[in-house]
Amino acid sequence: MSELDALAQKLATLTARDSIDPSGARLISVGGDPAPLTAMLREVDDTVLERSLVFECAGTTVTIVAAGRRLRGIVSVTPENNADIIGQVISREEPDGVQAALDLLQNLCGKADRMTVRSLPPQAFGKGGERGISAKGLSELWGVTMDTTPKPPMEQFLSQNAESFSSVLHVRKGEVIQTAGDFAALQAIWKDQVDAFRKAHAKTLRGEEGAQLVCLEGAFDDGSSAAVALYENEVALVAYKAECFGHMQSSWQRIFT
Amino acid sequence: MVVDELDALRERFEGCTALAFADLSTKMILVTDSNSNLRREALDVLCAEAALLLGANGTPALGEQPSDRAAVASASQLRVFLRSEQEPNDVLCCICLPNLDADAFVTDAAACLDRISGGE
Repeated sequence: MSELDALAQKLATLTARDSIDPSGARLISVGGDPAPLTAMLREVDDTVLERSLVFECAGTTVTIVAAGRRLRGIVSVTPENNADIIGQVISREEPDGVQAALDLLQNLCGKADRMTVRSLPPQAFGKGGERGISAKGLSELWGVTMDTTPKPPMEQFLSQNAESFSSVLHVRKGEVIQTAGDFAALQAIWKDQVDAFRKAHAKTLRGEEGAQLVCLEGAFDDGSSAAVALYENEVALVAYKAECFGHMQSSWQRIFT
Repeated sequence: MVVDELDALRERFEGCTALAFADLSTKMILVTDSNSNLRREALDVLCAEAALLLGANGTPALGEQPSDRAAVASASQLRVFLRSEQEPNDVLCCICLPNLDADAFVTDAAACLDRISGGE
């Protein structure tokens, strides 16, 4: 990646709207987007002055110390964990320690569905000369991508709610680009109903709103619900479980508003 | 009183900005909450949207059967439409801010509509 690309990515990250968790922590990974370790390395890469970064996922809290865009080490883990690497400054000269840090973080956070971070004042850790390893260096050593290109909004919505959907039909510019599950009923809606619905809805509202998520509970004979998500030239039709309505709404608002 | 039920529901949810009780058979808004400042045209649009989404003429908007609950989320609003189980033409139309707790609101709104339709 060129320096200009890196700078552009950094500016995009800094100007992006933060998602704030109800606890006040920043939401940095949802539904594996981005992968939790990628999200952690990005946070390290964004940390210039020394800080404690407190990551939370699936009931686990991991506190690390970062400075100068480098990870110095893992300070603590809750619930208590007896991994030897905790409390040690990581160094390229000790590859076993670098691998142990990866194994620990992967084990604790690698499959987290949701991860938040809080940036707190630094705490005493290691010796002054022990600088740790840069985020970029760790990315190479750990084989974890630092790619910061976010998925397009509709893809984010579909991937973050994949478990709520029993079937999906995603159309862009009139072309089907993704399907999942038994989408025959969605295909029938796309073919026979979507155009008429959009026209009738726009006429009712005297114009179509921008991004929209229309949910219809129990719209299918089997009791499942239907939703149509509209964004620019994309239409996504999904069959979803009614109990996932609230989760879908909050996810939609987080991505599109 | 219907208006008291609507006022109480709106008071419980800061993100709820207007509530209207409608009759789908006549496609008319019958009562709004007392703080609603929606003009007649806006109320007509809200009622027409409810009729479309809930399939007032028996035709589903999308899917295989008319829904009893529908919602439209846009960048600025979350609109929720609920049909009474007891009186299928009784409908509650709700305009909310997008950051509302949608699950909690729908649960309370459905209970509110039940009380209104049941004449409690």
